[in-house]
Amino acid sequence: MTALAAPPATRRAPRAGRGPRMRRRLAPYVFVLPFVAVFAAFSVYPLFFTARLSFTDWRGTGAATWVGWDNYTYLLTNPAFWSSLGNSAVLWLLIVPVQMVLGVLVAVLLDNAKLRLRGLYRVAFIVPFVTPLVAVAQIWVVLFDQRYGAVNAFLGLFGLPETGWLTTSAWAKPTLALLFLWKTTGFIVIILLSGLQSINASIYEAADLDGASKGRQLWSITVPLLRRTIGFAVVLQTLAVFQMFAEPFVVTQGGPYNSTTTAGYYLYNHITRADLGTGAANSFLLVVLVMALSLLFVRLLRAKD
Amino acid sequence: MAATIQRAPERTRPRIGSHLFLMLLLAAFLFPVAWALLSSFKPADDIVRSPLTFDLSAFTLDNYTAMFQDVPIGQGFVNTAVVLLFKGAATMFLAPLAAFAFAKYQWIGKNLVFGAVLVTLMLPTIVLIIPLLLEMKELGWVNTYQALILPGAVDAFAIFWMRQVISAVPDELLDAARVDGCGEFAIFWRVVVPVIRPGLAGLGVLTVMNIYNDFVWPVVAASSERMATLQVVLSTLAQNITGNRIGADYATVTGELLAASSVALVPLLVLFILLQRHFINGILAGSVKG
Repeated sequence: MTALAAPPATRRAPRAGRGPRMRRRLAPYVFVLPFVAVFAAFSVYPLFFTARLSFTDWRGTGAATWVGWDNYTYLLTNPAFWSSLGNSAVLWLLIVPVQMVLGVLVAVLLDNAKLRLRGLYRVAFIVPFVTPLVAVAQIWVVLFDQRYGAVNAFLGLFGLPETGWLTTSAWAKPTLALLFLWKTTGFIVIILLSGLQSINASIYEAADLDGASKGRQLWSITVPLLRRTIGFAVVLQTLAVFQMFAEPFVVTQGGPYNSTTTAGYYLYNHITRADLGTGAANSFLLVVLVMALSLLFVRLLRAKD
Repeated sequence: MAATIQRAPERTRPRIGSHLFLMLLLAAFLFPVAWALLSSFKPADDIVRSPLTFDLSAFTLDNYTAMFQDVPIGQGFVNTAVVLLFKGAATMFLAPLAAFAFAKYQWIGKNLVFGAVLVTLMLPTIVLIIPLLLEMKELGWVNTYQALILPGAVDAFAIFWMRQVISAVPDELLDAARVDGCGEFAIFWRVVVPVIRPGLAGLGVLTVMNIYNDFVWPVVAASSERMATLQVVLSTLAQNITGNRIGADYATVTGELLAASSVALVPLLVLFILLQRHFINGILAGSVKG
């Protein structure tokens, strides 16, 4: 506006201001605009909407009734809610410790430049991570079928009895955990490998000179130095395990006897029952839990520094 | 042991035990996919009767022909391709553009908006599923391409990653372009994009993989037969199988299921084998969200 009112003598200055320099000042706003629009429409708005929804009783049609904290107290006093968390916790125990041990071992072996077939291993271990989960979950259903599956056929060669991998509550969780392990361990190996690359090789040379065994070096040098990377991987996998949904959806539909109704799958049940208020409350409880767990791990890692 | 005494700059060659361990794992990692691919070419009855043997003379495409008849997998591929094209293009163009603003400009509200990016990164997908679904209902978008494409079209992670990549581009390069009379968008398009091409390749591969494999949102927002993406088509197939556990029927369904899974697996496997390095870069960067 002031530029327009400026006397003709200074014409060149305001033109320069409206030109490149002004454009330079405005450009970033234009550049982030699409993100901000999408973010506002599909993240901020739904987030506030969930918050409000979680205090109402709403079946998807008609008017919502305000029920205060009822949805939260309903969930927190509901054994089914707790058992969904329990199922996820058990899956976490079956998955994360195994994955970290396996991941560190494989990463340390693959980190050795003298390893033969190193490239092949690296590629092969990532194949599961690249494949579509739903397709693989299907294959799991076929492989672990009690009567016709390849797994029982293979075990039968050694005279082992047929096991109901997906049809007994005792085995359904480990079988799902195995699917998750198979699918994501290669990913964890890549993360750990990148962590290993920042460890200075001279530490190992010094340890060699001191006569420390390889196992001893792994435990006393590699693991402590990798602590941050391992912690990061644990947080990532904790988030993933507590949100696990597609695996039980495809492989077990939460069964048998709800033994694989994970926290994520239980949440989905509210949607299919059109109990949206409870579902919204459940989402928030889950987010609080997941964030608290992540913070806990981060805190634990810091404390050890 | 002798090797530990020599002052070799590299560590010792691994022993037999390590190789055995890795080979076993390798077999376990490749077995499910390899088994499914091979079995899909067996007569359906054989898959069920003798799941561990492979007879080359019994090679057949029957499972595939039956599957293509029974399953709307072609439609699934088309839908996934449409989503890939539009959502992928949006992420590949708009995310680096926003990242450019974060990396190379000073502007009011920058920290606030970047905070929003970080929050989006940390927010589990599931929180937004219910309200997003309701939003789609309000807009009349349930079972439409818009529902599959627009939410998450400008991926927060892509912005986060590209911001780091673009920060490494020297400012002198941008200033030189400005002196030459380049406009701000032209600087992005003609200077920044060519320089960050390796990062973009990694992002492209990661984006394709994520969109192709996406399941939770598509199954909630667009599960009708006409709109089902490839993964959603596959998931309903599995429910047929578990509901269908009787004799010969089971064999037929199993054969078709393995054929369908193989068809879904192969495009990504081929892409992965062709572009391994970009995949590994993409996956690695994709993990470093925190």
